Amino acid sequence: MTAAPAVEVAGLTKVFEKGRRTIWQRLRREPDKREKFVAVNAIDLRVERGEIFGVLGPNGAGKTTTLRMLATLLEPTSGDVRVLGLDVKTHPREIRANLGAMLSGERSLYWKLTARENLEYFAALYHVPPKETKPRIDAALVAVKLADRADDYVERYSTGMRQRLALARALLPDPPLVILDEPTVGLDPQAARDLRDRVRELKRQGRTVLLTTHYMEEADQLCDRIAIIDHGEIVALDTPAALKRRIRAEEVVTLEIGMAGEDAPMLARLANTAVIARSERHNGTLAVTAHCASARDFVPAAFDAARSEGATIQHVEVVPVSLEDVFISLTGRALRE
Amino acid sequence: MNRTYLAGDLRALGAAGLMSWRQIRRYPALLFGTVFWPVLLPAVWVLMGQAYSGGGDPDALNAFATRAGTTGVTLFVFVGFLMYMWLSALLWGPGTALRQEQIRGSLEAVFLSPVSRLVPLFGPTLTNLLFIVADLIVMGIAVWLLFGVVLPLQGVLLAVAITIVGVPAMYAMGALFGAGVLRFGEIGPAVQFTRGGLSMLCGITFPIAMLPDWAQTSAAAMPPTHIVDAMRNALLKSAGPGDLVPAAASLIGLAFVFGGLAVVVFRWLEASARRSGMLGRY
Repeated sequence: MTAAPAVEVAGLTKVFEKGRRTIWQRLRREPDKREKFVAVNAIDLRVERGEIFGVLGPNGAGKTTTLRMLATLLEPTSGDVRVLGLDVKTHPREIRANLGAMLSGERSLYWKLTARENLEYFAALYHVPPKETKPRIDAALVAVKLADRADDYVERYSTGMRQRLALARALLPDPPLVILDEPTVGLDPQAARDLRDRVRELKRQGRTVLLTTHYMEEADQLCDRIAIIDHGEIVALDTPAALKRRIRAEEVVTLEIGMAGEDAPMLARLANTAVIARSERHNGTLAVTAHCASARDFVPAAFDAARSEGATIQHVEVVPVSLEDVFISLTGRALRE
Repeated sequence: MNRTYLAGDLRALGAAGLMSWRQIRRYPALLFGTVFWPVLLPAVWVLMGQAYSGGGDPDALNAFATRAGTTGVTLFVFVGFLMYMWLSALLWGPGTALRQEQIRGSLEAVFLSPVSRLVPLFGPTLTNLLFIVADLIVMGIAVWLLFGVVLPLQGVLLAVAITIVGVPAMYAMGALFGAGVLRFGEIGPAVQFTRGGLSMLCGITFPIAMLPDWAQTSAAAMPPTHIVDAMRNALLKSAGPGDLVPAAASLIGLAFVFGGLAVVVFRWLEASARRSGMLGRY
């Protein structure tokens, strides 16, 4: 018999109501007229054991809401969620006992305690047997490279150190599944790289990692598979390489074209040799993002087109296809918009 | 709940108390209040009472005894304020513990663990029990040094015993406010209102014989009334263990009533908080 997937989600939906329904309205059984906001809309998801699975999307896309429902902190409006083969509705406590989670990062720690005191407390909350508490804490501190600062107060830590301590706490129950919500947000590049290394180490240990991020490079580098989420819906789900292949291009060319006339004829000419992913007009400049097989063929053609339209190409930038381009091609807008 | 979870939860309860103590220990100035308030607050009322009664006029004291059953005004007021401080600590305690977690951002991390919800609710407030004992000791020394009143040993032991019997009922009342924090966040005004109401109903600074009949009936349904009355009987009227049995029985009964209510309300409001996402907001 094969083990159940780490996470299995079907038709998961979360609807929030805006505002409050007064006691008077409830007593009078008035209809609920509150505005509804669909944060997560009927998503299906399957995370296999041992993989690093990323949920990529802009702020407000529904990533954190999804994770909170998986972690039993938020009740789904509808849909089925099974974590490690257990139903979140009927076995929340068993799920929490086997789940390492880092949801609100550094704020989730006790700053007036030392790192070791924090971990001692959480080890007790996770029912770690007393005999195992010290070795597990020591191991967790070594794993996140905080062993030498274990007895310092957390308030004296940098943001990166606190994030690492939050990760150490998530490892205390020795969980087969670790979920991380925006683990590198707010970190400097070195600290972020360090934390990503720790995440890779979790995979080498055989754990499943489910993380959210809005950093496409992070998702690209870390994840075995990625679900791209927007407006509460999964718009694509595949390996990073397969997602990038979807847009049938090798390179992305960004052009800034100085022109006074209409956009349409210029864009039509450019579309003969590339796929126009995006165009935006700022006064006298038309910014175009094009997906093409080869910039060597497209850029000269773009200069020819500009000359024919009486326009001037002011700036050219060529980069390999990234997940950002995948996101743009799927949603028509950038991740950070 | 299986035995493994129960053992783990009990260890976690102790760990939560230790966590709270470790944070308090970083601010030793907080301990100053333990010495300051149990003396200053009741002393002001005792001096006022002495002034209003003409400095111990026998007629005035007899009039007081008719209503309170004792002429020991000093101890009467000090015991009342001991109850007031305990009431404040336990009504605020569980709610404040959750509220602090909520504001700090650690509540979700705690709720992500498999531990029983009762642990974050009551564990951090275990330190309050230390402060209650400290208040009792400080009060005993204060009435002896300032007013020459010596507490009888048996009375002190019985007062501690009735305190222990009253803990579940008092914590259950506190849990009701803790549940409110999960769903509504700030519940300070509700606690203030209740503490004020209970101070009035339970006779903190005056005998409840002064209250109208309907208020006295309501007072009988409140645990603090029985605790403060039993403590006064033990310390002021030389009541023995047998005399305190009715009060202890009432407290145990009320613990079941308030405890059951607290469990229902806590589950209901926690479920509501998990639906609305209030656990992560404040």
